[in-house]
Amino acid sequence: MNGLRWLIYKDGLLLLRDKAGLCMMFLMPMLLALIMTYLQDSTFNAIHETRIPLLLLNADKDSLGMAIERQIGASGIFSVATGIDGQPAERDALIKAVGRGDFMMGIIIPENATNHIRKNVKRYVAGAFSGKNISLKSDSVQVEIFIDPVTKNSFRSTLISTLREYAVRTESDFLFREITAEVNKHSPLPAPDIRLARNKVILKEQYAMPDKAKTIPNSTQHNIPAWGMFAVFFIAVSLSGNLIRERGDGSFTRLRTMPCPYYLYMSAKVIIYSLVCLLQLAAIFLMGLFLFPLLGLPALTIGNGWLSLLGVGLCSALAAIGYGTIIGQIASSHQQAAVFASVSVVIMAAIGGIWIPVFVMPLPMQWLSACSPLNWGLEGFYDILIRGGNWRALLPECAASSAFFILCAIAAVVYDKKKRIDI
Amino acid sequence: MRTAIEINRLCKTYRGSKTPAVDQLTLTVPEGAVFGLLGPNGAGKTTTIHILCGLRSFDSGEISIAGYSPKRRWKDIRRRIGFVPQDIALYPSLTAYENLQVFGGLMGLRGKLLKNRINELLHLFGLEHGKHRLIEHYSGGMKRRINLIAGLLHRPEILFLDEPTAGVDVQTKNLMLDNLKTINREGHTIIYTSHYMEEAETLCTQIALIDGGKTICTGTPSGLIAQTKGCDKLEDVYLQLTGKKLRDE
Repeated sequence: MNGLRWLIYKDGLLLLRDKAGLCMMFLMPMLLALIMTYLQDSTFNAIHETRIPLLLLNADKDSLGMAIERQIGASGIFSVATGIDGQPAERDALIKAVGRGDFMMGIIIPENATNHIRKNVKRYVAGAFSGKNISLKSDSVQVEIFIDPVTKNSFRSTLISTLREYAVRTESDFLFREITAEVNKHSPLPAPDIRLARNKVILKEQYAMPDKAKTIPNSTQHNIPAWGMFAVFFIAVSLSGNLIRERGDGSFTRLRTMPCPYYLYMSAKVIIYSLVCLLQLAAIFLMGLFLFPLLGLPALTIGNGWLSLLGVGLCSALAAIGYGTIIGQIASSHQQAAVFASVSVVIMAAIGGIWIPVFVMPLPMQWLSACSPLNWGLEGFYDILIRGGNWRALLPECAASSAFFILCAIAAVVYDKKKRIDI
Repeated sequence: MRTAIEINRLCKTYRGSKTPAVDQLTLTVPEGAVFGLLGPNGAGKTTTIHILCGLRSFDSGEISIAGYSPKRRWKDIRRRIGFVPQDIALYPSLTAYENLQVFGGLMGLRGKLLKNRINELLHLFGLEHGKHRLIEHYSGGMKRRINLIAGLLHRPEILFLDEPTAGVDVQTKNLMLDNLKTINREGHTIIYTSHYMEEAETLCTQIALIDGGKTICTGTPSGLIAQTKGCDKLEDVYLQLTGKKLRDE
């Protein structure tokens, strides 16, 4: 145990003296977590809080035009303007304003649009009651929509759905009114206006989580564990560099002539780097808990999952240490190890769903994602932070990470023996 | 006299090489000797020392170190040997004191004993004032001295020195050799390789000249000079027995 103590002391000092490495392991992932959460939160707010600027040219001034104007304004999605610089807009001015990007969208509701619908409905109902079949095709009303080319498809779809919904509502209102009038003409007892009951079909939206879980997924709940995992695996750069430097400066050779078996040498590194990983995770999680709310970002919610977080963090740390060790054993130079470790971690992060959630990936990439150790850890964290799962839910991910560490450690020992002793 | 090291028909061929690095090498190093393992580049000196220190495996032959066979007792052997490699084997980003603490601690020294031993050796090698400076800020000669101290901390029965004075100035070399003689007088066996024949002649009590992985001759420096015709110093013996042809490793 005395030997292990000195090896831990040595590795601790080496790590503390590597200021650039410490910055890379702590500051970079914290900054990434902050920036990415901020960016994703802004995008989220762009849809839910920041309204889409829309210019409306309502030449109808009747039921359809007024309903659309009223309902689009009430939707909370759009910020509706009816003129440019306080002046009523013309068609050409509207097109130019949208083209310049002053508005994301522009709508022109033509004059007498309601009248057209009203007439069409009247003719249709009258025809239906008289037994004739009347086509509405020739009298369609055309509402023009102009879109800034940079506008996202999702915004465009939202607008079109909203317009379509209110056009159908207006049309159906007229239809029921005309039907009521026709029924009253033929019935001895006058019938009251038939009104279409609105919102009888209620869409109840909720997240599929266990009863106890009350955490609502947001950009913080996704990004804190994601960039935490990235930080944990980025220690592979420092660890592999540390192993190569020790080989290069001859100190590893000296250690091997001492009563210092390889397992003891590696145990010290596992202890020190596990501690580093847990500190990284603690720093990033604390940032999510205390700093994010101060910056106007959603606060991280952990609940009672501290112990489970520690378990997932430790298993992920072991997987990262295993990965760093094998790179450190195989790479022949510090530069080679640094480039390979950083690039491979970035690739594993991309595959593992750190940047883009796995569910939006194409199917083959989703399968590949299951092979990324970063994904195992991330899924473990999601189980606790988002799905509200208990320790049983973490077992597959923790087992995979631990098995990965064991495989890497065995490979490192075999490689060291074959390449450096039995040469 | 008891033997510190016994090597019998030791063979080692590196993977991918056709010629053996060590070929049927047989040597006996008496306890308390300063044993010079001399030879040109690629003669097999470093390979032999690496095998004796457990850094390399060997193909065949038998070795015994401090009475133990390395096949079963590496742990015991490692506690009894000290190794000073050819290259500086220290942590550049640690201070001299921290380096010595780590290496001494790993050799089983603790507390006051470790502290006293470090300070004593730093004083002996004239480094007590710079002990808290990082190794990367040391001069070449200072690094060599710390490199040597790191192998001496636990007072090993057998000390392996692989070209310990390479690249140091005359003053540092004299200090190092004087201290090595003192250490040897205290009963420590020293196995030493060098390309400096004059240095070997003054320091060594026994010499083995090896070339092509084989022993060419063994004996005391004065005995070898006397045995070889027309030679009045060890360098002449060396050149006569190994030739003047350049060696590319």
